[in-house]
Amino acid sequence: MWKSVTVRLLAIGLVFCAAPVLGQVYTVDYYGFGWETGGILPSVMGDELVITCSADNVDPAFGVDLGTAELTLHIHDLISAGQVDMGGYYAINFTGGMMDVYEDQVMNADWGTNPPNGVSPSTFADGSLFFSGQFTSFTMYFDGSGSSGSFSGTLDGVGGSIIDQMCTSCVYTWGGAFTMGASAQIPVGYDLQIDGVFEIDSAVDNEPTSWGSVKALFH
Amino acid sequence: MRKLLTGTLMAGVLVALPLAAGAQQLFDFTGQALISNYVGGSAGMFGEVFDPAPATTPIPLDFAHNQYTVVVLATIAGISPFSRSFSGGTITIYEDAGTAADYTNPATFSDGTAILLGNLKNFSQFLPPAGPGSVSGLVDWTGGSRLDDIAPGDQSDWAFLSGSSPDSGLLEPGYDEVWDGKVEPQEPIVADEASAFGSVKALFRN
Repeated sequence: MWKSVTVRLLAIGLVFCAAPVLGQVYTVDYYGFGWETGGILPSVMGDELVITCSADNVDPAFGVDLGTAELTLHIHDLISAGQVDMGGYYAINFTGGMMDVYEDQVMNADWGTNPPNGVSPSTFADGSLFFSGQFTSFTMYFDGSGSSGSFSGTLDGVGGSIIDQMCTSCVYTWGGAFTMGASAQIPVGYDLQIDGVFEIDSAVDNEPTSWGSVKALFH
Repeated sequence: MRKLLTGTLMAGVLVALPLAAGAQQLFDFTGQALISNYVGGSAGMFGEVFDPAPATTPIPLDFAHNQYTVVVLATIAGISPFSRSFSGGTITIYEDAGTAADYTNPATFSDGTAILLGNLKNFSQFLPPAGPGSVSGLVDWTGGSRLDDIAPGDQSDWAFLSGSSPDSGLLEPGYDEVWDGKVEPQEPIVADEASAFGSVKALFRN
């Protein structure tokens, strides 16, 4: 009888070997500029949105010194499903899309003007691949004036040096605010300026645990 | 004599040309906001200003020896289904080499030296039913120990832009929203202004 109970407890222990641990959020803070083929607004179904960003604050856990290296983000292949008037604001859902983040000691990121051009997106897509993610959702929300708003997206991590480094089942979200306002510094030819945070949430991560530790739980 | 004077003026103009006019300038911040849910209630954001490298701050800041914090205070002037409007908004940037900012004690964000004080106008928050919101407005700098580092003509209409999220994993206990954003001049602040040679000559005609 006792043996049976022990075996059952051990089985339970195996299951809880993958018990969630307290979540840790790692962040990459960035700013940048974007453009959509044909312009935005309006956003016409089939238009592609491209955004190039530079990180200006990164979690120390990543070990990137922004004084000697740059972290750049290249968001591409986001295809507009067309803008929808939501009665007071506009929403645009996008399909597809990738976000590639590069670490680069050359520190050559340059938006230039009238993208795509000789420096953008190329100087945001050079160096070593830090993270690559495939969007599973991405939406932009324009306020009633159509001049500013917010955006958010979720991604599946598919590559890069930090994949599986911070957590094995991370939740990746990318969000922030944008403006097209005249008071903002926006290079000629870009449609919008953005500022936001790339969050890597390990809330659903699994904590590696030795078999001895699991057994010790039942001693 | 006129030729010598002209040559001297040309040399002066060349030296005064900005070296990095294309660099982005901003005060970049991340903070926690306390927002009332009724008209007349208060709204406050307490945040830390980060070194935005490789971009630069509009005025030089010593991040190696100081912590810079930002406090935004306003009153809720209106609430509609997708937005909030604010009145009486102020923004202050502090420099502090002593107490570290601590979200469990908002007072630690408003100690030190107030280097820039400003008023917010057209200050509002967009709140779509799904996803994060955005906060925008314009800043007129009016005071602070570093106000004179900004030419009078460059002190107005700085863009304030921030994302706002009640669901961020960065939300601290007791706060309502995470704000992440920036304040930036309409164009980069430079030590010297580029001028056409004709404009320089015109200065000596009057």
